Amino acid sequence: MNSRNWENPEQSFEDVQKAEEILRKHPAPEPNKELIANIKAEITAALLRRQSNTYKRIIYKAAAVAAALIIIMAIGLKVFEKNGGENESVIATSIIPEAIWESDCLADDDTNLTILNAEIEQIQAEIIALQFGDNGDNGSGAITELEMKLIEINSDFWKG
Amino acid sequence: MVENDRLAQIIVGCKDGSNESFSLLVDMYASRCFGYFYRLTGNRAVSDDLLSELFVRLVNKIGSFKGGSFEGWLFKTASNIFHDYLRNKQRQKKLLEVQKKQFESKLTETKQSNNETFDKLQMQLGKLDSDTRELIMLRFYSQASFKEIAAIRAEPIGTTLSKLHRGLKKLRELME
Repeated sequence: MNSRNWENPEQSFEDVQKAEEILRKHPAPEPNKELIANIKAEITAALLRRQSNTYKRIIYKAAAVAAALIIIMAIGLKVFEKNGGENESVIATSIIPEAIWESDCLADDDTNLTILNAEIEQIQAEIIALQFGDNGDNGSGAITELEMKLIEINSDFWKG
Repeated sequence: MVENDRLAQIIVGCKDGSNESFSLLVDMYASRCFGYFYRLTGNRAVSDDLLSELFVRLVNKIGSFKGGSFEGWLFKTASNIFHDYLRNKQRQKKLLEVQKKQFESKLTETKQSNNETFDKLQMQLGKLDSDTRELIMLRFYSQASFKEIAAIRAEPIGTTLSKLHRGLKKLRELME
């Protein structure tokens, strides 16, 4: 079909030109001047929108670059700290749980500590009693007893 | 050559966002593009809208023009806009299928009220199939070469030439 129509290209071009002459003889209407003015106004508005979009894009890009830099710097600092201060890092923690230090109720925290505390209090009371001689005969007796034992150990020592 | 240099300068200006350059572009091509739309739609109001859309679209699309025939590129954009319009019209028709008769009668009324009289050519163009009509208008208003038209339509040049030859022959017969 194609080759049949275009066997004689010169003739075909003539045909096309003659036919296009019809179109030239019947021109389409021209656009209104108002329309052209409106189009130009629309273009101005579109250009303004395009400009503001360009600025927005620049701002977004700058913000994204800044965020990326901050992240990279933060990661870099962390890595640097890890490598440089590896041997110096000391983790200080308490053996006794912090809750025990903060608590006022000893019995609730540790029973062993409670027993120990009771014994210390008892010894303190006995010492006070001994010092003030409140223990009657027992107090002076104990001292005498200790002195007797000391003499006995002393004499046994010299006897061999 | 001087004309080409001037056009190249205008295009550079448009790419830089110069309002003046766009204004010159409108002055240079508005008439031809309007003729293209009018001969395809047969409706002045629709052609007005399509022409506006074309130039506003150019503002955002001019950056994608990478050289070559500007007319070819411009009319390809115009052709895309026309096809978008046809698709929208088709969609509208489907939506309003129930009220089709009312819609058509309204269209006729609108045409009559606008006192839009079709010339003989417009009436005979209506008798051609839409693809041939578009091809003839693309060739006539873009003044692009057959090779460029074939590229715009993404078809072999032989097909383009054959369709154009047949279409114009038929138009001549109709006009006689």
